[in-house]
Amino acid sequence: MTPARSAALRLTLAVAGGIIALSLLAMAVQYRTTAAALHEQQRGVLAADVAAFAAFYDQRRIIALREAIEYRAATTPPETALFLLQGKAGEVLAGNIGRWPDDLPALAGEVSMDGARAFRLDARPYLGVARVLPGGFPLLIAQGQGQTEAVLAGLRRSIAGVALALVVLALLAGLAVSRTVLGRIDRLNGLADRVAAGDLGARLPGVRRADEFGQLERHVHQMLDRIQNLNRATHRLSDAIAHELRTPLNRILQKLDRSPGGDEVRAEMRAAIRIFDSLLDISGAEAASADAPGLVPVDLSEVVREVAELYEPMAEDKGLGWHLDAAEGLWVLGDRNLVAQLVSNLLDNAIKFCAPGDAIATSLAPGGERHSLAVRDTGPGLPEDIDDLAFERFVRGERDRAVAGHGLGLALVQAIATRHGARLTRPPVQKGFAITIAWPKVAPPNVLQDDP
Amino acid sequence: MTDPLRILIVEDDPETADALALAVRDLGADPVIMRNFADGLQAAGLAKFAVVVMDRMLPGGDGVDAIAKMRVAGSRALILVVSALGRAANKIEGLEKGADDYLAKPFDGDELRARLRALLRRNTMAVLDNDMLAFGDLEIRLQARTLHVGRQHVPLSPKEFKLITFFARNAGEVVTRMQLLENVWNLHFDPQTNVVDVHVGRLRRKLEAVAGRAVIHTERGEGYVFAPDRQGA
Repeated sequence: MTPARSAALRLTLAVAGGIIALSLLAMAVQYRTTAAALHEQQRGVLAADVAAFAAFYDQRRIIALREAIEYRAATTPPETALFLLQGKAGEVLAGNIGRWPDDLPALAGEVSMDGARAFRLDARPYLGVARVLPGGFPLLIAQGQGQTEAVLAGLRRSIAGVALALVVLALLAGLAVSRTVLGRIDRLNGLADRVAAGDLGARLPGVRRADEFGQLERHVHQMLDRIQNLNRATHRLSDAIAHELRTPLNRILQKLDRSPGGDEVRAEMRAAIRIFDSLLDISGAEAASADAPGLVPVDLSEVVREVAELYEPMAEDKGLGWHLDAAEGLWVLGDRNLVAQLVSNLLDNAIKFCAPGDAIATSLAPGGERHSLAVRDTGPGLPEDIDDLAFERFVRGERDRAVAGHGLGLALVQAIATRHGARLTRPPVQKGFAITIAWPKVAPPNVLQDDP
Repeated sequence: MTDPLRILIVEDDPETADALALAVRDLGADPVIMRNFADGLQAAGLAKFAVVVMDRMLPGGDGVDAIAKMRVAGSRALILVVSALGRAANKIEGLEKGADDYLAKPFDGDELRARLRALLRRNTMAVLDNDMLAFGDLEIRLQARTLHVGRQHVPLSPKEFKLITFFARNAGEVVTRMQLLENVWNLHFDPQTNVVDVHVGRLRRKLEAVAGRAVIHTERGEGYVFAPDRQGA
């Protein structure tokens, strides 16, 4: 798995994204509160100034106002505050700037905070009150907002910086978490793959850590131990059943042997033993497929040819068409006897169910990854009432009650195919039964010596 | 024969041991019965036996593991494993570990006798192992892989030749279908149908057509007997 598609990375990033959004929201609220408080403070300072000037104006009108402004203007630079009192013709009576700011309309009225507004002069922000006092004297009292703006700009910069740092940290943390998590999950996935491939004894090396992953690994190991024990128990059980049941059956057979005329009973006994053997074969093949496979290279071509040769005369005697098309030198990892039994069961079934005039075709062809063994006939095919169930134990069609058998042949075919990691499919056919088994291929052994 | 053949039976189940002993006596040999792994192993070292019939799940061990120990101790007896571990995989394991034949329990008396006879016969065959097996006018040449009846050559497929050779090596004795499957086809499972009968039938008809008499006879129950000189079926 690549980190980009990792659930751990996505989760970490989602959580980090959420935290970043919340932090930004909190900072935005903080910013607005700060900005509002600063503006309020500036307004308060302005209001105090305006109140003071209003007091002078109330006492002695323009003259007092002019003195007060001259005094303040001398001690205050224009960045901090603006003071300007003009005469009727627009001449400067007092103030720390030489002209009236552009685009700043002045309201007629007394000296008060009414209509206080923000404006800019020489690119500096101000909050001020512009008036035309009775008699035509324009008056401007303003507080510079430069410091407040600088504080707020600094605040904005630091918020942006923090946000950027958070995003970078979140990405790094996400990558680190997903790497760690992925690494440990990959180990578990690898273990699961090995077990699925048949190695029930596979375990993760090293000590388990005391975290969730360690716990998960411990649980998986406990499960595998349990499966392995059950598997061993199954093996022991089937051996024990074999022994415990065969011994009394053997005694019965020996006793029958010594008494005259038990032939029918003996035939029945043999049939029962055959079912018993088939069941053990099926469960044996099934159990083995879950365990470490003990398979060797087998010449599939040769086995198919030999078993086909064994059955050909039987098909001929029954008047069935017989076609064999087996490519040479195709090898698989397998148990020769089981492979032979699989082919034998398929051909046996085909011959059993076909009527004279039908044909049976067996083919073995090489493929990219798998060799494909196909057996098809033009017989009656699977009865509709069973279909895929045909591969279950003891399933037989109602139609076929008259034909000998116990419904174990295809179950064994399935079990043996599974044992060999072979895929079993039933291609659709117009008439009859067809089955294809795809065997994982192996290279033929290098040294092939013919005995003279 | 002054010294009758001895056959060692290592089997813990008394009923089975009795049945084995009975079959051994039927063949004119003397049975010696041992009940567990250690005694069996010791007995095999003390006397000369033609055949050892060995159980697998014995008190004290697996009979198949005794084979190697007996061989090390110098025993040259042929070994027939008779075991409840009767699946194909068990049989192959036993044969690979040195057993000469393997019979699954429960077994038929006929099958057991046929296999014991085949083993006893193999003991004597080893000496007269030459190129030709002859029975009256019927001659099998092993090197050339040909069969002649009188002066007439009988064309055979490779499998048919293997079949007649196996019959000939066990001439006069009952040969079972399982024995044929194992020795001629190297298949260690029991097919649902008696597919072997068809092959034997064909070979039999071929031989009869040339020889003018029955050469392979069907034995009631379990198998066939190759007896070119016997009259009637």
